[in-house]
Amino acid sequence: MMRKTCCILLLIICLTFPLCPVLKSQELTAKEILEKVNSLLNAPQDQKLTLKLVLIDKNGQEETRELIMMQKGKDLRMGKFLSPASQRGIGFLSLPNDVFYVYMPAFKKTQRIATRQKSGKFAGTDFSYQDLGTQQYDEKWSSRLVRAENEQYVLELQAAKGNDTGYSQLILWVSTENFYPLKIEFYDQHNKLCKVLTNHKIQKIAGYLVAQEMEMVDVIKNHKTKMFLEEVEFDTGLSDEFFTERYLSR
Amino acid sequence: MNKISKFVIAHRKTVILLTLITTIFLGYFIKDLQVDPDILNYLPKSDPVVKLSEYIGEEYGGNLLAMVAMETTDLFTPSALKEMDLLSNSLERVEGVTSVTSLTNILDIKGDDGLIEIGTLVDLENLPVTVPEFQELKEYILGKNLYQGKLISADATTALLICQLQDHVDKVKISKAIKNEVEKLKLEANIYYGGLPFYLLEISDTIIRDLKALIPLVSIFIIITLYLSFHSLIGVVIPLLSVLISTVWTLGIMSLSGIPLTIISNVIPVILIAVGSAYSIHVLNKFYETKGTGVENAEYVLQSIGLPVILAAVTTMAGFISFIFGSYLTMIQQFGVFTALGVFFALITSTTLVPVLLSLLKKNPVPKSENPTSDSPFSTKISNWISLRKNLIIAASLLITVISIAGIPRVQRKVDILDYFKPDSSIRLTEERIMKEKFGGSIPLQILVKGEIEDPAVLTEMKKVQDFLKSLEHVSNPFSIVDLIMELNAAMGEGQQIPDLTEKVSNLWFFIEGEEIVSQLVNSDKSEALIQATIVYAPMDEITGLVDQIEDFILKLDSPVCTFAQTGMHSIYKNLDNSLLQSQLQSLLLSLGLILAMVAILLGSLVGGLIGLIPIVFTLIIIFGFMGYSGIPLDIATVLVASTSIGIGIDYAIHFINRFRQELRSGKNSSDALRQTLQTTGKGILINVITVTGGFLVFLLADLVPLQRFGALIALTMVSSGSASIFILPAIILTLEKRTRIFSAPRLSSTIKKGIN
Repeated sequence: MMRKTCCILLLIICLTFPLCPVLKSQELTAKEILEKVNSLLNAPQDQKLTLKLVLIDKNGQEETRELIMMQKGKDLRMGKFLSPASQRGIGFLSLPNDVFYVYMPAFKKTQRIATRQKSGKFAGTDFSYQDLGTQQYDEKWSSRLVRAENEQYVLELQAAKGNDTGYSQLILWVSTENFYPLKIEFYDQHNKLCKVLTNHKIQKIAGYLVAQEMEMVDVIKNHKTKMFLEEVEFDTGLSDEFFTERYLSR
Repeated sequence: MNKISKFVIAHRKTVILLTLITTIFLGYFIKDLQVDPDILNYLPKSDPVVKLSEYIGEEYGGNLLAMVAMETTDLFTPSALKEMDLLSNSLERVEGVTSVTSLTNILDIKGDDGLIEIGTLVDLENLPVTVPEFQELKEYILGKNLYQGKLISADATTALLICQLQDHVDKVKISKAIKNEVEKLKLEANIYYGGLPFYLLEISDTIIRDLKALIPLVSIFIIITLYLSFHSLIGVVIPLLSVLISTVWTLGIMSLSGIPLTIISNVIPVILIAVGSAYSIHVLNKFYETKGTGVENAEYVLQSIGLPVILAAVTTMAGFISFIFGSYLTMIQQFGVFTALGVFFALITSTTLVPVLLSLLKKNPVPKSENPTSDSPFSTKISNWISLRKNLIIAASLLITVISIAGIPRVQRKVDILDYFKPDSSIRLTEERIMKEKFGGSIPLQILVKGEIEDPAVLTEMKKVQDFLKSLEHVSNPFSIVDLIMELNAAMGEGQQIPDLTEKVSNLWFFIEGEEIVSQLVNSDKSEALIQATIVYAPMDEITGLVDQIEDFILKLDSPVCTFAQTGMHSIYKNLDNSLLQSQLQSLLLSLGLILAMVAILLGSLVGGLIGLIPIVFTLIIIFGFMGYSGIPLDIATVLVASTSIGIGIDYAIHFINRFRQELRSGKNSSDALRQTLQTTGKGILINVITVTGGFLVFLLADLVPLQRFGALIALTMVSSGSASIFILPAIILTLEKRTRIFSAPRLSSTIKKGIN
């Protein structure tokens, strides 16, 4: 018992002591870090979010969109736009195996979409359909811990064979404190830096770590999207019925 | 003039030293001189069409298209498509290229059976495998008129990759980078280049090649002629030195003031050879005529020849300065300013350095065999012939004038950059065979639409304009957001048409929002859209007709929901074309007026002034007549010829009249005075004519068409204004002099002369 307490104490000291990351980096492999990141990001059973998206073009002109989004597990996602008026009511549903539906209120029609390009833009934002989904840093990537600095792990992820994310490489900056990713650089098929995601205001809400502000910058087009988490509820026990075509067109 | 001459000669060491220092100083800066062949950089910012074009360039990502065509036996093979993708990606990485549109990256909307597929048209990740699958892809692509004739030729052998370039960048540099990048890829397919940026690159390469090859030839020719004329090394060195120094000063100052060399101002050195050499030739000729040496003789030469040289230079400068007013292209204004400056420098060196150098000579290098003041049988013959046949000369020149005037209305105008290349040049062939035949041209046409773009009423109006464009002969591939909306509407199962409700349009927008292509077609708040099309290379009057037809259609449409404004290279060409004529007339009248005033003051008589203008007017008429008959069009290069002819023509007239008057006042009768003038000044003129004519005829060998035409016209100018001064002027003077004695009477001019002295 005493030994166990000592161990925990030691761990706490290590977690808080500034020099510890260096020590830890020797202890944790890239794979282990990613596992922690994955379990952190996929911790909630389900979530219901209200998001505000601010699109900023190269001249600094802003456009705002608001949407509610529901997510269950890794694969089920449903969203509906609240604003702007021209897009109000447009809904989307994302199911396993790349099944994607869009509901068009003006046509009163649900249409299945095949987005042949995974890196295609989502509703004018700098997030692709892919980015919007829950991140899985798993067997699709071969990882390497580059260094640990300023309380951050720097990980390099190379796309493994059969990776269909549309990116060739990612560089992740992960907090050594809580394993939340702070910054991700995305490299395109030609290994050119194309986008940079930064997470801000990372806080614990209802026991889960979440970034309340995200910024995705398209460094090639000089366009960026800020995503503000306005409301969030976790583990409300969303039923599978929300994630059906029928519910989408309601 | 006496005081100035004495002052100059007295400070000869200072003159040499100052010239040397200035030349070294300014010469050093020539290394920084930029070359900018892009005429787009010199369009007037005040022209609404130019403004609109620049606005579109900034807002919609470049209005300049560089086109790379890829030709192979069949594009629908894995290797060809992979090559196309490689090419497309490589082009995208070239610095200054904003976007590349090709089959392998264009957004395709496919809809059937409740499934909308949005993605790249040819997805390299999911290429077909079997031959029938490739056939299917081919049929799909060729079946859509969004692609056929725009990105792929109907026979599926040639694909086009369209690169949009950033605004305000060095297009020549980007074009060169694109070519280098493509060459590095070592592709199997044949590659062709089209579009304005590549033409500019070709022009700049050709200019450099031409000038490199021709300037030595011109120089050798001039050196030989000068040597044959003066029979001395000094006679060669001094005029060339004077021209060289004034060129160095001019280019040095251009470099210092950050003004690049353009496709027009690159002829400044050439013009200075033609115009500037005359001043030192006349000084030299006078020096040889006096046969004296040393300080006193140099002073005398400067005293007697200084004034006409100054007047000749000032009038020439007036001719070039007239370009500052009323030129559409700012590079023509710059050309005017700097050529005038160059002429001024040629004047400075001819009246300071040249006499100073001559004063240093130990002996006058005139060969003993020649005695310039004694009557040579040749000049006696000529002057006798002129005296005898003055009526015939006048009649003949009137006849030539009338014939030439008849040719003037035939003068065409051409402003298209492609006219810079010979019809059999690879760039013209590519334009004909690939760009025109297979893709409907490479000149972009743009129509900016203002209105609520999501409103079906606005989209319908846009469709009308597009349909009209489609019906026009030289226009191809009209394209706008309307096409995408209609595709999406079809994919939603509601047919290939514009939706009936704004809400529907807004919904459809969701699919394509943020896509590259959308930002090239609509602005961010959807209050403006662009209709794009391409135009083939066609004669100017047809292009002008096209602009008017489209303008008319827009006007008649008179849409209550939106406005349309047309721009693009074709509209700019039209304005450039209009301005050429206006600018030509304006600068001609202005310089003729200025020169008339100056000559009239010099002679103290308006009639005298008018007579002085005869060689100029005669030459101008011949030039324009010749242009009419020979099919040489008025373009941005030949528009400069007239003022250059004025500069040259007036010089001859001034020298001739000045000498003739001097001879008359010294008591000679008019035929003796004429003989003496022909013997001396006439000789100077003749040397100048032969040297420069020959020099410019060399330019007929140039690859760049405007340089050829420019050479031919300047050569014609020299011959025409030279013979007008030597034959027509004396014939008229002899006819008039008997009655009016304009030239022998010491009138107002002598008072002015005293004043100047």
